[in-house]
Amino acid sequence: MTKEELRSYIDSTFGSQLKALDTGRHDPMYEIEPQNLVKTCQALCDDEKVKFNFLCNISAVDTTEKFEVVYSIASLPNKLRLDFKFSLPYENAEIDSVQEVWSGANWHEREIWELYGINIRNHDNLTRFLLPDDWDQGFPMRKDWDAPDFIRLPEK
Amino acid sequence: MGKLKTEEFVVNMGPVHPATHGVCRLMLTMDGEKVVKIEPVIGYLHRAIEKVCENRTYPQCIPMMDRFEYVTSMSTNQVFSQACERLAEIEVPERAEYLRVIMLELNRIASHLIFYGTTAMDMGALTPFLYGLRERELIIDLFEMTCGQRLTYNYIRIGGVSKDIPKEFIPKCREALDIIEGKLVDYEGLLNENPIWLIRTKGIGHLPAELATSFGVSGPVLRASGVDYDIRRDDPYSIYDRFDWKVAVCQNGDCYDRYLLRLEEIRQSISIVRQALDGLPEGNIKAKVSPKFKPPVGEVYSRIENSRGEMGVYIQSDGTTKPLRVKCRGGSYNQLQALPYFGTGGLVADLVAIFATLDVILPEVDR
Repeated sequence: MTKEELRSYIDSTFGSQLKALDTGRHDPMYEIEPQNLVKTCQALCDDEKVKFNFLCNISAVDTTEKFEVVYSIASLPNKLRLDFKFSLPYENAEIDSVQEVWSGANWHEREIWELYGINIRNHDNLTRFLLPDDWDQGFPMRKDWDAPDFIRLPEK
Repeated sequence: MGKLKTEEFVVNMGPVHPATHGVCRLMLTMDGEKVVKIEPVIGYLHRAIEKVCENRTYPQCIPMMDRFEYVTSMSTNQVFSQACERLAEIEVPERAEYLRVIMLELNRIASHLIFYGTTAMDMGALTPFLYGLRERELIIDLFEMTCGQRLTYNYIRIGGVSKDIPKEFIPKCREALDIIEGKLVDYEGLLNENPIWLIRTKGIGHLPAELATSFGVSGPVLRASGVDYDIRRDDPYSIYDRFDWKVAVCQNGDCYDRYLLRLEEIRQSISIVRQALDGLPEGNIKAKVSPKFKPPVGEVYSRIENSRGEMGVYIQSDGTTKPLRVKCRGGSYNQLQALPYFGTGGLVADLVAIFATLDVILPEVDR
């Protein structure tokens, strides 16, 4: 399946859940509704034609107005790649865990919880692992967090 | 006589244990000599590379990437440059692409030679370590000749490579490849049918294919479990689709297969480097990229096949000279995550063998 075929297949089969964006120039990029996250992931993983059974990466982004969470997934048998994302408000950000679909999501989500302060529902082990156990200085990957020796240089 | 009272106890393996390849702590719950539970504790090498990158221009991020995975720095340079090129739609000159493939594959060979040495050393055989590092030296000399560095190269840049190879590179490289190919026979002679090696690795640490896929395990470890997937072939980047080579796959998914597979990958990499040297065209080595490189607004996840599995970089650009977000994904991250689910049930010595053949390095996990 080529990238164009994948795009049209996703549009025809998952059109109601995945909305195409044009920011992903290399691989197809979609936007989904955060409340449908687990359902959409399960459908993408189970669909025989695409079978996205491999989670490459989850990354959170702080755009200073909102959070974005980006999922990069791949299909090993069908050799496909796809990204999808959704936005979250800055206050009380919360997402569902997708570890029942891809077990490898566990540490990626733990990292998002730890560094961005986005709460993960239904996660089995939300404990600190990159930062010290007694860390109490907030969420270091947020844009408004600056370390004492970390000075944000102005744009030239 | 009354029954002997038994209870489980916790042993810390690491953080500064020679067999944990960096600073990783494995909290082991032991029942006598059997490992019943593993809990990896990471974060000792966390240097906040992703945060630092947000305050640097794109070309300044590449030296940071070197530190993200310092055993195969060429791959980290490549994955970041590739992401920037995809964002800004930069065409890389032909000669630069060939030089990149040569360097990436030489780096893969060097990394697998370290794997060969350290894995055997973890299990008590010191000679392979000396052999592996001796041959790695030949490759490191080639890198030093080209870019002046032996470990953190900063060689592959956005749009091409930083310097052309010197005149004596090609004959020296061919000579090194011939030597390494000859020495591979010695390596196999040392371990492949060594009875102690077989007892320590055959049937130890079986990783089923479904578990591996579900945990995002990639690279040689995934292929040793029988999943035929290699990003170089299945999601081609650079010019890998022009070369004729085979993806090595094994079926058993134990420590012995993971070891055999990497030796076979060295052979395939040697073949790729030879083909690239044969086809190396003349021409420009770097596309014109401004020092104030500003990609348009957008985002990309670029990934390559590193010697430790899938290495990826996610970049979101807001149209300024600095990235809004850089996220690095290393193969070791997911390999270590899967370890508690298949590494239990054996002795501590078996766990050392499993950990060594996963070829985890910690800077890639902690970043």
